[in-house]
Amino acid sequence: MGSQVASSPVQESHRPADGVIIRTEDLWKTYDMGEVAVHALCGVSFEIARGEYVAIMGPSGSGKSTLMNLIGCLDTPTSGRYWLNGRLVSELTDDELAHIRNKEIGFVFQTFNLLARATALHNVELPLIYNGTPAEERLERAKEALRVVELGDRMYHKPNELSGGQRQRVAVARALVNNPSIILADEPTGNLDSATGAEIMNLLDRLHQSGNTIVLVTHEFDIAAHAFRVIGIRDGKVDRDERMK
Amino acid sequence: MAVYTPAGVAARRAHGRHIQLSGPWVTAREAFWIAVETLRTHKLRSFLTLLGVVIATTTLIVVMAVVNGMNTYIAEHIANLGANTFVLHQFQWAQSFDEFIKAQRRNKPIRLEDYDFLRDYLRGYQAISALAQIQPGPEARYKGTTIDEVDLMGLTPSHMDIGREKVAEGRYLSDQDNNHNAPVCFIGRDIVDKFFPGTDPLGKEIIVGGRGFRVIGVAERVGTTFGISQDNFVFIPMGTFRAYFMPRPELLVFIKAPDSKHLPELEDEVRALMRARRHVPYHEADTFGINASDTLMSVWKELTGPIFAVTIGVVAVFMVVGGIVIMNIMLASVTERTHEIGIRKSLGARRRDILWQFVIESAVMAAAGGLVGVFLAYAVTWAVAAVFTAKVPLSAVFIGLFLSAAVGLFFGIYPASKAARLDPIEALRTEN
Repeated sequence: MGSQVASSPVQESHRPADGVIIRTEDLWKTYDMGEVAVHALCGVSFEIARGEYVAIMGPSGSGKSTLMNLIGCLDTPTSGRYWLNGRLVSELTDDELAHIRNKEIGFVFQTFNLLARATALHNVELPLIYNGTPAEERLERAKEALRVVELGDRMYHKPNELSGGQRQRVAVARALVNNPSIILADEPTGNLDSATGAEIMNLLDRLHQSGNTIVLVTHEFDIAAHAFRVIGIRDGKVDRDERMK
Repeated sequence: MAVYTPAGVAARRAHGRHIQLSGPWVTAREAFWIAVETLRTHKLRSFLTLLGVVIATTTLIVVMAVVNGMNTYIAEHIANLGANTFVLHQFQWAQSFDEFIKAQRRNKPIRLEDYDFLRDYLRGYQAISALAQIQPGPEARYKGTTIDEVDLMGLTPSHMDIGREKVAEGRYLSDQDNNHNAPVCFIGRDIVDKFFPGTDPLGKEIIVGGRGFRVIGVAERVGTTFGISQDNFVFIPMGTFRAYFMPRPELLVFIKAPDSKHLPELEDEVRALMRARRHVPYHEADTFGINASDTLMSVWKELTGPIFAVTIGVVAVFMVVGGIVIMNIMLASVTERTHEIGIRKSLGARRRDILWQFVIESAVMAAAGGLVGVFLAYAVTWAVAAVFTAKVPLSAVFIGLFLSAAVGLFFGIYPASKAARLDPIEALRTEN
């Protein structure tokens, strides 16, 4: 179901069409460093359709991380608009953004970002805790998510009792558990050896096949090669946007 | 491999309303368990942090326990002159020092003539007795053994119906003893224990205040009041007391009403008779005191006010100090856990979720301190009760726990709001 909508001409100031999960419109992010203003993003516009598998690529300093923070609703743009799943999220407050992150976005971070003192199961439960899912349902869904990443037998282990690959799979389960609109993976293999990295990429591929929308942020070509479409970022601008498969 | 499809969960979103309703409760519970976990992993640090709260709670509960114990004690031992009984004495017992000085100038002692007068003219009493005492108590001897000080009292035999001393062996003082100034005595259990261990005291002669008395009866054990034994007494007939020690003693006159309903009436009667007898003009105060159990209670009640005032001050100081220490450790904890806060925020924790997490953590921590304080207070109270009197009232436990939790809540607000305001990106970037 991957790649039917992508490069339709951007219509200014209009709500995105159905099936479009992400739409950005002239995003700018400027950091005020005293005397000089640093433009991390200079007018980024693109659309991502539901079910796509997109890699955002760029060297360090390209504005790729800033873009990821905006897409992940961790930050708001200086100007421009961003729709996520039909909702204009570029002008929301902190708490509204938190709610969107909870509901719409599943993060997979390079450094896993698991709570060290909590079990795998509890880590996976966290997003459900913050939307108030009752304990029984929460437990059931967290266990289900852990089984999906094949960690059904490691639920009660803490992160320091798991290998790097297993930790990242816990993170993937956590990203999945709330059934988000997009899974946003930021250098998901950056802290893993190549074999384990491949394993994680296989997992993401499978999740894509089962209908999830995946946005992969990376600077490695062989990782980006898993995606069906690559958006290249350079100097705060989109410098290429092409479909690979 | 199981496939995790969006469609599967879409159905579950149908119960969205239910989920929203239980939201705050779920996050509060998460916060509670985080707090318990923190306490468990940092036992020593937590204990040191909570010392102030522990001491404050302990102080509060122990003071309340002692006051409570005293209340019971006074009600049971001191104020209990015997049911429906009051005492006519030269002075009102419960009064300020100034009033006492005034009364000392104005009031006259109660004499035997007063006792005889009341015995003959008062109506409606069940029993009336007179008591005279030598102070300090004289020395008592039996063969080679000496007791430095005994409570030597001259009594009318009618005191048997009023006093709390019950006959265990032999008999009480009789009217014949009294009329003939017989050298006989009725003694307390302490005297028996000292002079007659393992032997029968009845019929033996003991020397008290230089005079010999034959033991005619022994009382049941009365017990102790404020750690002072109440069984160290030698009762002799009033007539004998006058003949041997003091011809014109100053008296306490005990009057017992048939029931509590008639007690106030009887007090009024005694007051009227005494005022008439002493020709006290109607606009002047009594020249004697009428003392009932509630007079004694009121003395004690006046004392408890200042005790509580001091306690509140001490507890407040400890609580504030304890609260500031908690705030300090919570600020450190926020810094230490910045990365964790970032993770939680990235997963959808709102400001209020983080705020709650740290406020509840702080409150649970302080309440745990309160709990330790409660246990410590029970231990201290137990030790105090061994030598004095104390009993922990349940209300003290609740007040202690509530207060410590409230302190934790209050002093947790600032660190928690600091945590809640953290920027998620900055927080995630922080390594710990």
